[in-house]
Amino acid sequence: MDFEGVIGLEIHIELNTATKLFCNCPNNPGDPPNQNTCPICLWFPGAVPGLSRQAVDKAALLALALEGELQPRSSFDQKIYYYPDQPKGYQLTQSHQPLARGGSVEIIDEEGRVKKPRIHHIHMEEDMARLIHETEGRKTVSLVDFNRAGTPLVEIVTEPDFRSPFEVMEFLKVLRARVRYSGTSECSMEAGSMRVDANISIRPRGSEELNTKVEVKNMNSIRHLGDAVAYEISRQSAAVRKGEAIEAHTRLWDPDKKTTLPMRAKFEGPTIPDPGLPVIELDPQRIEELRSQLPEMPADRAQRFVEAYQVSTEEAAFLSSDPETAGYFEALVEGGVPPRTGFHWISTQLLPGLRERDLELPENPVSAQRLAELLAMLGREEINAGGARRVLAAMFDSDESPQVIVAREGLAQVSDLDQLGELVDQVLRDNPAAVEDLRSGKGKAMGFLMGQLMQASGGRANPKVLNKLVGEKLEKDKT
Amino acid sequence: MEPFFIYRDEDSPPSAGEARVAVQPSIAVAQRPCEAGSQALEGYRPPEDAELIRRLREAKIALGGSVRMSEFGLGLAGGAAGQAVSTGAAEAEIMLDLSGESRAAAALAGLWGFKAGYGTVSRRGLTGLAPSMEGLGIIARSPVLIRKILASVSGPDGEDYSQPDDGEPDFSPRGIEPGKVRIAVITEAGEALTVEEKEAYGALQEDLSRRGFVLDRRSLKDFHLFPLVHRIVASVEASSSTGRYDSVRYGTRSAGGEGWQDMYLQSRGEAFGTLVKSFLLQGAYFQFQAYEAYKDACRIRSRLLQQVLALESQGDFFLFPLPFDDVLFQGGDLEEHYRRFAPSLFANVSGLPVLTLPPIEKGMTCQIAAPRLGGPGLLELGEYLYDQEQGD
Repeated sequence: MDFEGVIGLEIHIELNTATKLFCNCPNNPGDPPNQNTCPICLWFPGAVPGLSRQAVDKAALLALALEGELQPRSSFDQKIYYYPDQPKGYQLTQSHQPLARGGSVEIIDEEGRVKKPRIHHIHMEEDMARLIHETEGRKTVSLVDFNRAGTPLVEIVTEPDFRSPFEVMEFLKVLRARVRYSGTSECSMEAGSMRVDANISIRPRGSEELNTKVEVKNMNSIRHLGDAVAYEISRQSAAVRKGEAIEAHTRLWDPDKKTTLPMRAKFEGPTIPDPGLPVIELDPQRIEELRSQLPEMPADRAQRFVEAYQVSTEEAAFLSSDPETAGYFEALVEGGVPPRTGFHWISTQLLPGLRERDLELPENPVSAQRLAELLAMLGREEINAGGARRVLAAMFDSDESPQVIVAREGLAQVSDLDQLGELVDQVLRDNPAAVEDLRSGKGKAMGFLMGQLMQASGGRANPKVLNKLVGEKLEKDKT
Repeated sequence: MEPFFIYRDEDSPPSAGEARVAVQPSIAVAQRPCEAGSQALEGYRPPEDAELIRRLREAKIALGGSVRMSEFGLGLAGGAAGQAVSTGAAEAEIMLDLSGESRAAAALAGLWGFKAGYGTVSRRGLTGLAPSMEGLGIIARSPVLIRKILASVSGPDGEDYSQPDDGEPDFSPRGIEPGKVRIAVITEAGEALTVEEKEAYGALQEDLSRRGFVLDRRSLKDFHLFPLVHRIVASVEASSSTGRYDSVRYGTRSAGGEGWQDMYLQSRGEAFGTLVKSFLLQGAYFQFQAYEAYKDACRIRSRLLQQVLALESQGDFFLFPLPFDDVLFQGGDLEEHYRRFAPSLFANVSGLPVLTLPPIEKGMTCQIAAPRLGGPGLLELGEYLYDQEQGD
């Protein structure tokens, strides 16, 4: 029997607010352990929660970015949860009245068809403390860092609309881009600011029934998620073929063994309304104000790039995949750089250069203005492409203008015909075999000669002029 | 030091004529024991004052120390509510009123009692069981002092989001003209009284009429449902919110238990007293096994609040009986607790402010309630009655 996967996702996203959700402690989980705590987020007796306005606004923006419908009223509930990472024995979440309902994200499935997996609802909740398991000698100890306790999360619960690992991965990539564009979260699985649990069941292909689902956790990247979903579909299919029943439980993905293993579930109970927190009320005017703050989303931006800059669909998709890259590209174009030149230099030189230096684009020391100046010099043939690449490398480590670097390094392109003519004569004299090959039509010989010429010129010669001069010399010698 | 004190506060002795306020240790006083009468909070000392304590200090009202209380203020057994004032060790006592405890203790001690309206006093630093049912209770020899304390502590606290957006309370005097004050006597509240109690309650009503007040009989037809709603909703809130008492950061920790989960369970089993444990278990039952009943109780509560709101057009104040006797300080099970406090639960469920008068009849006094924001006006009425008594 052929089975298909039926997958739903629960996606937790950390908001990049300045403070925690219910108190004024800084929202910096990476600070030294337990530095960012207070009687409220440690839930001392008598503690009364506040509610961060910024968190509500960012959560609402995130929901709008995913086409969720903001609800006029939403409220918090207490979800019983006994575990050492929860200081008060319950988690504050939104069970009964979530912040937003509905929503969707458009993807292209494996067959190239447009699909819009649906979001069931989007709600706010607080994060737990972080448990760190260590050994002291032979003893296993667990340490609790409350820096993360009470930081604001948005949980996105999808409908079980996914049928394959590919669809899940594509959905997360598009969702991630939209969330990053909204400016509400870094949204990175690797950094821990996006965590995804998958609820996976199987059914005979063509059936509409929904069967018992298994929850899978602990996937640290989109790729791991795809692997875990594929494994779990395979595991359940094999079990059902053997006549085994699938029981609802939770499993952990082991990326080293590439398998899921059952885990002991934490005790969780039903929720009751929290009497201490206010109801969040969003009137239509406020919702429109928030909507007006939403920037252009990646798909719309990519479309605009294709229309305005005549880049290809794939190039536009690359450039719009995150707001920093898109913004940098547009700044280059505004600085006079031809769009396709801008795309080429971002994709083949700038981003790889940053990766080599372990930097992300927000930390990029080469401003769009400086790069635009460099590419303008290239356009004016003041330097050649090789020289431009060397200047860019220098610009990563200095804040000097490209003009200063070119002058200092002596990288100005030489285009003088007399000067280059002498050089061509010399190289042709020194490489008779290559000249002969070239005359007999072996095109590779030209590449060799150009290499020799560039080397002889210290990389400064204008390759177009060299090419022309070589052609003229050979023609002249023929006659 | 009197046996009902946990500690005396000698830090800021009052000037002559100024009042000392004894505090139950469910109200945080910085760096002082705040164990709320429970082993579950053994050793807990809050890092900062409760907001209302901060405001008392700001108003230069002296703290008189901390007095023994029942566990988490549920009932009166095991506590000494009212004794500090009745013995003259303090001029007032502040506590949390979850089921009518401050009012019952005041009546038993022959004193004035008051429960503040819901949301009029900040809950920051108050350690109770059921946040939506509790109110600040004040016991004193005169409503003048109660009014002074309430005026100091009430009002919006920008950091307590549970407070409705009421604005600053209005303590400006309105003047009491008895002939123009309508007091609605809630008929259903007197139905469960014994013959003797009805007689005593009738005498109290006659006394108010004699003073010139206009008394009308009014109906609150679902009055009998207040105890049921309180029992279900309060116990569920308590069951959920006491999860934070984990015997890790403070409180009694059980020596037994393999692993943290066993430690939690055993510690909680050992740390809570029988009555509180029954209350919490009842709440857990409704939350995990009978959730629909909990939802129904919440719906009934909304209906009761609508009926109470409708009363506001029928009277300026509302009269309820408060029978009392020493058994209120005795131990008992949850059934006993709800039987004893049935006459006072309406105020906790509805959030109304209530004033109890010092008893003039044996075993009976009355509760005068006002609309939720009517605490200042209610105390003005109390002061009028007090002045009249002083003049008598």
